[in-house]
Amino acid sequence: MDPRLPALLLESTAKIALIFFVNLTAIAYLTWLERRVSAWIQDRRGPNRVGPFGLLQPLADGVKFIFKEAITPPQAHVVLYLLAPVIIFVPAMATFAVIPFGPSLEILGRTIPLHVADVDSGVLVILGLSSLGVYGIALAGWSSNNKYSLLGGLRSSAQLISYEMALGFAVVGVLMATGSLRLTDVVTHQMQYGWNILWQLPGFLIFLIAAFAETNRLPFDLPEAESELVAGYHTEYSGMRFSMFYMAEYANMITASALAVTMYLGGYHVPGLHLLNLPPNVAAIVQVAAFTAKTAFFLFVYVWVRWTLPRFRYDQLMNIGWKGLLPLALAHILWVAFLILMEWA
Amino acid sequence: MHLLTGLVIVVMAAALVRAVAPGKPILTALGGGIAAAALLVAFHQDLAGTDFWAGTIGFLAILSALIVVIHPNPMVSVLSLILNLICLALFYLMLQAQTLAILQVIVYAGAIMVLFVFVIMLLNLRAEEGLRIGRGVQRWGAIAGGIGFATLVLWALRHRQGHAWMEPGRHAGEFGTAASLGGLLFGQYVFATEAASVLLIAAMVGAVLLAKRRLE
Repeated sequence: MDPRLPALLLESTAKIALIFFVNLTAIAYLTWLERRVSAWIQDRRGPNRVGPFGLLQPLADGVKFIFKEAITPPQAHVVLYLLAPVIIFVPAMATFAVIPFGPSLEILGRTIPLHVADVDSGVLVILGLSSLGVYGIALAGWSSNNKYSLLGGLRSSAQLISYEMALGFAVVGVLMATGSLRLTDVVTHQMQYGWNILWQLPGFLIFLIAAFAETNRLPFDLPEAESELVAGYHTEYSGMRFSMFYMAEYANMITASALAVTMYLGGYHVPGLHLLNLPPNVAAIVQVAAFTAKTAFFLFVYVWVRWTLPRFRYDQLMNIGWKGLLPLALAHILWVAFLILMEWA
Repeated sequence: MHLLTGLVIVVMAAALVRAVAPGKPILTALGGGIAAAALLVAFHQDLAGTDFWAGTIGFLAILSALIVVIHPNPMVSVLSLILNLICLALFYLMLQAQTLAILQVIVYAGAIMVLFVFVIMLLNLRAEEGLRIGRGVQRWGAIAGGIGFATLVLWALRHRQGHAWMEPGRHAGEFGTAASLGGLLFGQYVFATEAASVLLIAAMVGAVLLAKRRLE
């Protein structure tokens, strides 16, 4: 066995545990943020009873979910019914592995890069894993054996496939500029030549809209559509299984926000930080904090948009996806290619 | 390698039993089990020499392929097919073709299989509905095809010695990265790549046209 292997394993395990812990905590507090911000937008108070500012509310919700009865409908396909929340949750958590959340730390003479895996085709890994999440929704809808669930699952899989295209094509612009699929390369390229959002604003907007649709958030939350489909694909779920769908939604939001930051907002880059001459470890921590702050801003935008815009109709959703966003994304690819060809970018 | 061949034969045996006696899962399992036991005895020496991950993933791949053929519920079949495609992606990964592996997941497991799931949900197929194996030509054709394929695989494995491309570890370094794959696709094989893309678009337009004509 390679003598470096134990240290490497320890390092990777620590990073995975850290990301898992931070993400799960963030998911819990996103529910709190969602309710507080919605209350603020609607001029209400929101949850403020459990702990200071209602900060312990997610904990109380978690306990409530665990103690609720977990109902399995008698006509359901039991194995797939139990498997569906897992299938949707695992890819949602796993995608964060390839996102670089900081440069590297120097601890005990070891250089520890701040990402779990630096994969050569990191962007493709994210697209591939997130495309597997569709099965969770489709299976939840199908295995519940309920017409509302089935319709919700059908709609949702159609929506996710449609907007995956626009999302993928929007990202192509960034990848062409970088010349690599590796996410650390995307970040270092932006450090040298400026953030991508400055000259790829249309691509960024297409990416953002498609990401909203991919995470099933308003104005694209048609799979749920409580006014017409009861609750869509998770109508029959209760207790912790139901909450897993929500946790997956929030985990997807975190990954989408982190990806938007990495692709367009320079990742963990802080302009002008090198002028301060901070020690490398302190600078790294500042950059991790900057990454967190940028991601948190996008998460706030998610919540903000949800309580501002009304829901689209299904045909409008499909029209926007196929006739609006997709041609725009293709045109944007041509435009970026033109800029690169003329060496203006 | 022999073990994997053996398991391929198990699939063939199971498919054969299912084709001859449809709707008899016990008989199918028995036939498959006997074939598996026979192969285990025949190839127990190769079993010890198989790479751990190759053996495990290979077993998963064969098992999922078996379930695709045997399971009466179409949704379970489709899910095992997805698992099978993911196993294939893992094989690519073991062969250092990392970009190909993730593309396999995106294109097959992520995109094409969603359409399968979609169709099953739309038609609301339940167990054994619409999935009955055809009589006559279809059944005997499947049996003949299966036997032919098994013979081909066995023949290929018997004659594999002495071929350079069968030796492991010939590729290293840049092999399998997105850059090297892209260089090949848009350099050496650019004509084939573009021809395939034009063909796909033509097929898509043709499919839309055919579907529309039937509607009117």
